[in-house]
Amino acid sequence: MEKVAILGVGMIRFGMYPDRTVSQMGCEAGLSALDDAGLSFRDIDAVYAGHIFMQTMAGTRVVKELGLTGVPVQRIENASATGTCALREAYLAVSGGHYGRVLVLGFDKMTQVMGSAPDPKDMDEAILPAAFFAMWATRRMHERGTTPEHLARIAAKNWNYGALNPMSQRQAKEPVTPEKVLGSGMVAWPLTKMMACPIGDGAAAAVVCRADLAKRYRPERPVIRIAASHLGSEKYERGHLFMGPVVGPAQMSRDAAKDLYEQAGFGPEDIQLVQVHDAFVIEELEYYELLGFCREGEAEKHIEAGTFGPGGKVPFSTDGGLIARGHPGGPTGLAQIWETTLQLRGEAGKRQVPNARAGLCHMMGGGSVCAAHILVRE
Amino acid sequence: MADARPRVPIKSGYFTVPGDPAAPPDIVVSRCEDCGEHFFPTRLVCAKCLSRRLTTAHVAARGTLYSYTWVHLPLFGSTRIEHMDGYGVGQVDLPEGPRLQVPLAGKQAEYRVGMPLVGRLEPLKEEGGADVVILQFRPAA
Repeated sequence: MEKVAILGVGMIRFGMYPDRTVSQMGCEAGLSALDDAGLSFRDIDAVYAGHIFMQTMAGTRVVKELGLTGVPVQRIENASATGTCALREAYLAVSGGHYGRVLVLGFDKMTQVMGSAPDPKDMDEAILPAAFFAMWATRRMHERGTTPEHLARIAAKNWNYGALNPMSQRQAKEPVTPEKVLGSGMVAWPLTKMMACPIGDGAAAAVVCRADLAKRYRPERPVIRIAASHLGSEKYERGHLFMGPVVGPAQMSRDAAKDLYEQAGFGPEDIQLVQVHDAFVIEELEYYELLGFCREGEAEKHIEAGTFGPGGKVPFSTDGGLIARGHPGGPTGLAQIWETTLQLRGEAGKRQVPNARAGLCHMMGGGSVCAAHILVRE
Repeated sequence: MADARPRVPIKSGYFTVPGDPAAPPDIVVSRCEDCGEHFFPTRLVCAKCLSRRLTTAHVAARGTLYSYTWVHLPLFGSTRIEHMDGYGVGQVDLPEGPRLQVPLAGKQAEYRVGMPLVGRLEPLKEEGGADVVILQFRPAA
């Protein structure tokens, strides 16, 4: 197996873009990643395009904006984990020796599709994601004594990280306090509006290549290597929900973490920053434990101590997370790769985590799947 | 006197609609003939042991509340259970094993994790001279 590196990353700021087409957005992100890599589209051996909401052929059409070079193009979809899974396909192809340089694109215009409500007759669609994750929170409060203040602290942290990230959809003008989060209006008790990710549009991209090529193309930079890649789906256990916008059993994230740490040859103690699927804040709280960054039942104590915030032991969602940076769909997982790559190069500006040598990117996709990577600075 | 209009389920295959409006509905589940596990909704292969010997069974609409929330966003497709105080959604564990996500009746203050609930049919709207009914849970009396 070949070693695989992230040679370039690029994205546009997530937001509401009624006047921009998905082709324009995807092309901009792709060009930005190519420029960062120092490559031309002519150098690209294959493209994986991740989108959830766009129509048939959207991937091929976005790639056409970048050029018509005859390159193989493949669409990937795995709900929220779409971008992460597109990256994983690129990783597998390069690792297996099939391609040398691959462009991974993620894009979506969620604002274009939110008007089309799901079929109201389908019980599968009648329970909203916000309600589903709110029930995680209610259960956690029952079992562990978690309070809405704990949840608000996570949200405030991510909003404040977002203000340091020029690509973040949400840019608070003044520091966000837990009190402000708690007072932002109830979406699904106990989750308030500021504890939930926004809808939006966006695009993000990465250029993946053989690690030896990365050294040759950009000798002045540290090589950012993919040290582990994981994709898993659910295992049955009693109490499994078969209907609704479900993100599955906790065990799926525990299994992902175990697999990642085995592949990487090190564990959470050697990881300096983490990005997770914080579509709703309760998720981030659970992932502190499920990914092994604290013991089960101790997340609340660590939230109070600031372990996972700026200056803490292992900062989470350093680009603002889904809560602030945004979650258009296809590009979301690649925004995590953008952030982690910049952090590991030491190019993350005001939100730079000191001495970042390894970062974990974890996404969940409804259905459900867990897709995750560990990146390391060589 | 109960409403004489016929009642039809919002979608067939999930719960029964008894002819007697006073009778409680049943939940339609699959039971594995090899390992005994129950599933909602019905399925072709046992998710626990992969047996293909599943039979359809009806179980009573009652269970315990695993978790719940009160939603302050519009519910897709509903007209009658939306109101200013939002609406409830719960996860209910049937004694046979399946966990269901269902709408909850009444007010948030009536609910506690772990409490016993019962399912009842609630008219959602009228369509073609019939009452379209949904399955809703409420605290057991």
